Amino acid sequence: MSDPTTLTTDHAVQVASATPPAPRRPRRLSDRGLAVAFISPALLLLLGMSVFPLLWALYLSFTDYSATRGGQAHFIWFENYTAILTSAQVHLRALTTLIYVVGAVTLQTVLGFAIAYLISRRTHGRGLLTTLFLVPMMLSPVVVGLFWRFMFDAQFGVINSMLGSLGLGQVEWLTQQRTALMSLIVVDTWQWTPFIMLIALAGLTAVPKYLYEAASIDRASEWFRFRTITLPLVWPLLLIAVLFRAIEAFRLFDLVYILTSGGPGVSTETLSFHVYKVAFLGFNTGTASAYGILMVLVVMVLTQLYLRYLNKLKED
Amino acid sequence: MAVSVDEAASTDPVRDHTPPARRLRGRGRGRSVLEVALLTVLAVVMLFPVLWMIETSIKENRDVYAVPAKFFDFKVTMGHFKDVFVAPGGGRSALSVAFLNSVVVAGVSTALATVLGVPAAWAYSRFAVKAKKDQLFFILSTRFMPPVVVVIPIFLMYRQVGLIDTKLGLILIYAAFNVPFTIWMMKGFVDEVPAEYEDAAMLDGYTRLQAFRRFTLPLLLPGIAATAVFALIFSWNEFVFAIFLTSSDSVRTAPPAIAGLIGGTTVDWGLVAAASVVFALPVLVFAYLVRKHLVAGVTLGAVRR
Amino acid sequence: MRYPKPVGRLSVPGGKVQLATAAILVATTVAACGGGDTQASAPKAPATIPELTKDPLTLSFIWFDWPPAHALEAFANAEYAKERPNVTIKVNTVPNANWHDAMFTQFAAHRTDFDIPILDSQHIGEAVTNGNILDITDFVKKNIDVKAYNPYLLAAYGQFPQAETGKRDENASMYGLPLLGDTWTMIYRKDLIGDKPPQTWDQMISVAEKCQADHPGVSGLAFHQANGSDAAAVTYNTVNGIYGGNLWDSKTRKIDGVLNDTAGHEAMDVLVNKMKPLTAKGSGNWFIDEVNAAVAQGKACIAFNWIAASGGLLDPKQSTLGTTREQILDKLGFATLPSQKTNLVPLGGMGMHVSAYSSKANQAEALNFMKWFEQADIQKKWAAAGGVPARTDALQSPEFLNAGPFNQVYADSVPRMRDMWNVPEYARLVDIENTNVNAALNGAKKPKDALDDIAKEQQSVLDSGSRKGGGGL
Repeated sequence: MSDPTTLTTDHAVQVASATPPAPRRPRRLSDRGLAVAFISPALLLLLGMSVFPLLWALYLSFTDYSATRGGQAHFIWFENYTAILTSAQVHLRALTTLIYVVGAVTLQTVLGFAIAYLISRRTHGRGLLTTLFLVPMMLSPVVVGLFWRFMFDAQFGVINSMLGSLGLGQVEWLTQQRTALMSLIVVDTWQWTPFIMLIALAGLTAVPKYLYEAASIDRASEWFRFRTITLPLVWPLLLIAVLFRAIEAFRLFDLVYILTSGGPGVSTETLSFHVYKVAFLGFNTGTASAYGILMVLVVMVLTQLYLRYLNKLKED
Repeated sequence: MAVSVDEAASTDPVRDHTPPARRLRGRGRGRSVLEVALLTVLAVVMLFPVLWMIETSIKENRDVYAVPAKFFDFKVTMGHFKDVFVAPGGGRSALSVAFLNSVVVAGVSTALATVLGVPAAWAYSRFAVKAKKDQLFFILSTRFMPPVVVVIPIFLMYRQVGLIDTKLGLILIYAAFNVPFTIWMMKGFVDEVPAEYEDAAMLDGYTRLQAFRRFTLPLLLPGIAATAVFALIFSWNEFVFAIFLTSSDSVRTAPPAIAGLIGGTTVDWGLVAAASVVFALPVLVFAYLVRKHLVAGVTLGAVRR
Repeated sequence: MRYPKPVGRLSVPGGKVQLATAAILVATTVAACGGGDTQASAPKAPATIPELTKDPLTLSFIWFDWPPAHALEAFANAEYAKERPNVTIKVNTVPNANWHDAMFTQFAAHRTDFDIPILDSQHIGEAVTNGNILDITDFVKKNIDVKAYNPYLLAAYGQFPQAETGKRDENASMYGLPLLGDTWTMIYRKDLIGDKPPQTWDQMISVAEKCQADHPGVSGLAFHQANGSDAAAVTYNTVNGIYGGNLWDSKTRKIDGVLNDTAGHEAMDVLVNKMKPLTAKGSGNWFIDEVNAAVAQGKACIAFNWIAASGGLLDPKQSTLGTTREQILDKLGFATLPSQKTNLVPLGGMGMHVSAYSSKANQAEALNFMKWFEQADIQKKWAAAGGVPARTDALQSPEFLNAGPFNQVYADSVPRMRDMWNVPEYARLVDIENTNVNAALNGAKKPKDALDDIAKEQQSVLDSGSRKGGGGL
């Protein structure tokens, strides 16, 4: 469905060949019924699988409930919340997560957009290039994590092996405080740069040709064309992509679990990883629920702010 | 927005600067070469881990651990791929069972999300639903909840109803995570199909539902395919719910099964690589088949906003 | 470029608010019910095995994925079927890192897909306190010849509460029986440091130092340093024991001031400042398999690993040390750990337990299996199949001692073993120790601070009973 005009002709043919339709029923009633019938199943599933569990977690977050110890849950109201918000351990994980999110998303946005821009300027092999670049994004985080762990291995890993043949020293990628977090960022960037690229490319290829043609008749400079035509059209899309990535990065768990399991020490433990430890190592279900609710709140507020900003941008 | 850019282009202040533009064209070829070179380097960097994975999957274990790494000079073996499907003592391996489980779980949950999500997206696009913005925001926000957080109450809920360690449990949670995505993605596609088509059909005497089914739905099919592929990839690759909600071999999906290959007494990286290749292949093939729609899909949903 | 849309006044019936209210009500009710139906202590198993079924039955275990798990499944299916042809044995395996979680999430679900969980000795406290496994005291009294075992092994894998190194308490309750015994072995390169293994820990360090200096590309030591499972924690505990330290005072439940006493700090200093510099670069996340790989690739002079995980070292397919088992054994030696102030070694291995949530028929079958498994001749066959038995007669049998070069090491180590704290808070305690020792080993924390942090944080976990909220942070 690339070109709306062809759609219209198709449609015209279809209508022309269609058999005389049945008599119309009252439109309003059927619309209302349709909307309800079409929307409610999806909403019901979400209510059952997302809202209900979340409310349950909300209830548990005010208690000292433990999933294994069982027994009655005692209301302790905001004790869990105050404990979490004042815990130095939590602050440490929040900082780690922040560095990770900002680092990874910035890197992949810059890279992703650059690749998309370069691809969009090619006339040949665009499809093939795009497909090749998309491969990392399609892989499971498990596969990605395991494989990078293998490549990062200080002794047998191919990365140190290549550094070695270049005469450079070996790097302890996953076991030094700074490099471990950096490695996480690198891997996430490797996997998700294609996502930004895909969306940016969609924006870039959709910039109507005639705009460029008009600009090139006017002999506008490349940079000027980029700044005045390309960027404004792609910008909103890019921001959506960034939002998605930021939220996904904020809840990162699987890469940490496989690549470093939070190490060295706890220096790559993200908030999600910490929640997991609270929830499944000590089975402090109440605390973990409160922790989770706080994370959801952060995500919701960020999403809301972002959407608002996006809407404003669209209106301008 | 397009209009404003038009204006910007026509009132181009650079218009009179002819010489710089000429020089630009001369520099253009050199720049083009540079761009191709840059693109090639980036492509190599992005693809190297994948190639290395494929190479490792056909190396013997001795060569896998070789220092310095062997890039070309190694003996090719298909043994690891055999190990993926065949258990050491013969018979089906646990990995192959996990692959089968993944097919069932990912397939059914994607179908479910599509069946529920597409009509909802259409309704949100066409009708003035009360508090639509709030509803849509709510729907989107459920998609963004951290899985590690959701898994706690889901776990408690499933233990009440006996869904822990069942495929149905995984299918339901994956569908619930994919429905918001489907609705948002599809709403973009539906918005692009002019409502006038349906209106015209209804003037011809079709009911709204018939108009949707006969005229809008066929136009949406590529979009549905693209959306479903994304949903499929999510369910196929998902790890967090899988590892916390399942434990037995007969239910476990491929990601936790592959993760389970390390952490024994020896890591057979060849086997890990072969399993990863086999695991990634279906998704890559599928994504390749609908590659046009992946890009076009997002384009249609976004550029005319 | 927007298209006009047909406008109608529509709304989804029910309204979000009402639905939400209903959901809260249901959630609260279900949660309240969910909390009430658990018992506080372990249910009792019958003293005599109930009548067994003649119908086909699958007896399921859960363990982490390693060779002994596969050996157990093959062995049990071959041998147990001779007595009970209608029974199939299945050993479910999960990734090592997920082992505790996989078992205890199912316990928490009150529905297990296994009948016999294979718990680490330290997990027993958590399982017993939650009522997840059967109390088999009466069954053991009636069916098991307790005199045939080193009393400590019975205590370690079955008794709760259990003293860390103490003798077995005849009156304590039993919750499990030994399945696989284990401890650390020292693996050394005979061709690099000579046939005679170092006898003291200090000696071992200087031998490793010399070996590393003499053989570029080979590092002096390889041992567990990872922050997952119990890797780094066991390493520190071992050195701590050898240098005369204590993990805690179990009577007063005191860790702070006990773990981080002079001996404790000396042990941490030895580990971080003397042992760590002799390890390979980037070995800070090594566990069982990485240590094995280093040995198999000829990259370590002296290594420490669990005996049950050492079998793969003799496999020529995985090794560069030789093309036959004999050639590899010419280069690799296996010895008991050197001693220093004490001769303590870490207790590894696991026991068999019975899930409280299995059906009665499966529980009966599980008890029957355990009785069968603990017979003298079966224990010898298990030894021959690659397992490590617990009965003294089996440990001294040629079947066991000849099955692997490290089996003598195990037999010699049995009287020297020490376990960790066996308390319900174990998972939290070991995580605190793991992450801090790992941080110290990788330079993310000073050794002294790391040990003090461990002591302080572990103490607060033990003392958290009276605190409200924020548990587990």
